[in-house]
Amino acid sequence: MGHDHGATVSPSENMEAFLNGLWKQNPVFVQVLGTCPTMAITNSARNAVAMGLATLFVLVFSNMLISMVRRLVQKQVRIATYILIIATFVTMVDYIIKAVSIDVYKALGPFIALIVVNCIILGRAEAFAGKNPVWQSILDGFGMGIGFFIALFCLGSVREILGAGTLFGFSLFGSNFQPWVLFLLPSGGFFTLASWLLVFAWWKERGKAKEAQA
Amino acid sequence: MNEVSLGFIFIDSLLINNFVLSVFLGICPFIGVSNKLSTAWRMGVSVIFVIVVSSVLAYGTNSLLIAMHAEYLRIITYIVIIASTVQLVEMFIKKTSPALFRALGIYLPLITTNCAVLGVALFQTARNYSFAQSVVFALGSSMGFTLALVIMSIIRERLELSDIPNLAKGTALVLMIAGTLSLAFMGFAGMGG
Amino acid sequence: MNTTAPRADMPPSSALIKLMGVVSLICGLLIVTTHQQTLAPIRHNQEIILSETVAELLPGAKKQVSYGVDASGNLSIVEGAEFAGPRLFAGYDAYGGLIGVVIEGGERGYADVIRAMFAYSPQKKAIVGFKVTELKETPGLGDKISSDKKFLSNFKDLDASLEHPIVTVKSGTKKNRWEVDAISGATISSRAVGRLLQKSTKEMIPVIQRNLQRIERGN
Repeated sequence: MGHDHGATVSPSENMEAFLNGLWKQNPVFVQVLGTCPTMAITNSARNAVAMGLATLFVLVFSNMLISMVRRLVQKQVRIATYILIIATFVTMVDYIIKAVSIDVYKALGPFIALIVVNCIILGRAEAFAGKNPVWQSILDGFGMGIGFFIALFCLGSVREILGAGTLFGFSLFGSNFQPWVLFLLPSGGFFTLASWLLVFAWWKERGKAKEAQA
Repeated sequence: MNEVSLGFIFIDSLLINNFVLSVFLGICPFIGVSNKLSTAWRMGVSVIFVIVVSSVLAYGTNSLLIAMHAEYLRIITYIVIIASTVQLVEMFIKKTSPALFRALGIYLPLITTNCAVLGVALFQTARNYSFAQSVVFALGSSMGFTLALVIMSIIRERLELSDIPNLAKGTALVLMIAGTLSLAFMGFAGMGG
Repeated sequence: MNTTAPRADMPPSSALIKLMGVVSLICGLLIVTTHQQTLAPIRHNQEIILSETVAELLPGAKKQVSYGVDASGNLSIVEGAEFAGPRLFAGYDAYGGLIGVVIEGGERGYADVIRAMFAYSPQKKAIVGFKVTELKETPGLGDKISSDKKFLSNFKDLDASLEHPIVTVKSGTKKNRWEVDAISGATISSRAVGRLLQKSTKEMIPVIQRNLQRIERGN
């Protein structure tokens, strides 16, 4: 994020903007941002997917619009402008989900509107889209959005598999499986995210240890 | 209008459906500000103030929006209300208690993106709460937030000297404790029933 | 949040206002367009869900009429999904005969408010169907009230003549037609269902009885 992008952008830099959010700066697992929706609605894989797509939509479009107007925005009112733009796309996604499926809308409830205060989105606006050209900002939005999507899916699928023995509503283990209800409960959200963070921390440590050996 | 009694709303939002531990709102400050009891306390009190004020304002605005058939502006107006309430509280504290202002520092403006604040406004609208119900709900849930924050900070102060594997230090540990707390808070369910 | 910006390089406020005006204009256009584009499909979806639930509760219903109930208990025909107050949904067979009336109710359960719809048959003076429409009860325990077959069989023919109020009794001790047999391990949620039925039947059945001829005609 620290480097200053010039007027000409090489394809590799585009790729970097995209991959950054996917893995190295994964918003949930590495930056631990946007944790509220991450745990609140991930008790099933379907909800996780819906939330991930909604956030991706908001992230990409708000990044795009913010980057388009970035030269006009004065420093003093930039946060207000960003929030206004983000809230607009959130309102849009709220209506779109309601129009597509009432079931999903009921399951996500006020958490769709709460995308407004998802720190990831304002964070990307401030750290990236407000300083970079449109095309790269869109890619950055895609990368971060998909990174968030993957994180939600990791949590949602683990919780649904362990807590209900199903994935996307399909039974996985047959009728003899005694579901581990704890994982559907709120505390299961905390435990699952904590475990994923441990996995990621362990992964990083291992990489560092290997580098040190070599 | 919703038929639920005020006492139940209070207990429900304070303990049973605690905002942090069971609805997952306000997790970011919960993780970020819970390492010291004194800061947790201050943060909690300012959040209570902001939530109650913005809840009252949101209630009024919502009635106005419904009268104007402009419900589609709800999200935008709510976020504007919250941002201005936070700004107001900031100015107020700066004037009345510079020491508190310095102590709160960066956390004050951060309340704007605390989802618990917007959460209260949105939930009270979604549940069709009356004015009194909204205020009680705002009080209960913000006090619930403070309660969770304070409990967590007390636990974390104790943990400071204990021997924890490097891997688990930081957020993962906080989340594990929060999960256990959340399990404990489940015991409150059924109260007031 | 940049609160420490030096005052010196503050641009003229007219520029700020112009900027906010342009941004608000774009945002306003986007929101209003989406709102108008999605209005019809949203309403359509809500209608479909409502009529599917009513059809499920009143098997064989070919035609449905939604009534809104005002404070003094008078009926008026409404668009089901739009009306905010208490509603009744009447279902009719292919020949226009009244099968039953679907009533809505809500009551606080273990974790949060439980909402449900149930079918009332004026001929049998009994509840003949029940469906939970909203619940956040504990998964694996309280949420059985929406799926447990034995529990749901309580509502195939539950006395709603109002001579005895509907009550929930301990699991396995149901003796009378107005009693609801609780699920063991989900007593609080089962009791909430009993209270929900008791309350809504007491409110709505007199309204239905009073307006029965009108509901039978379907106007």
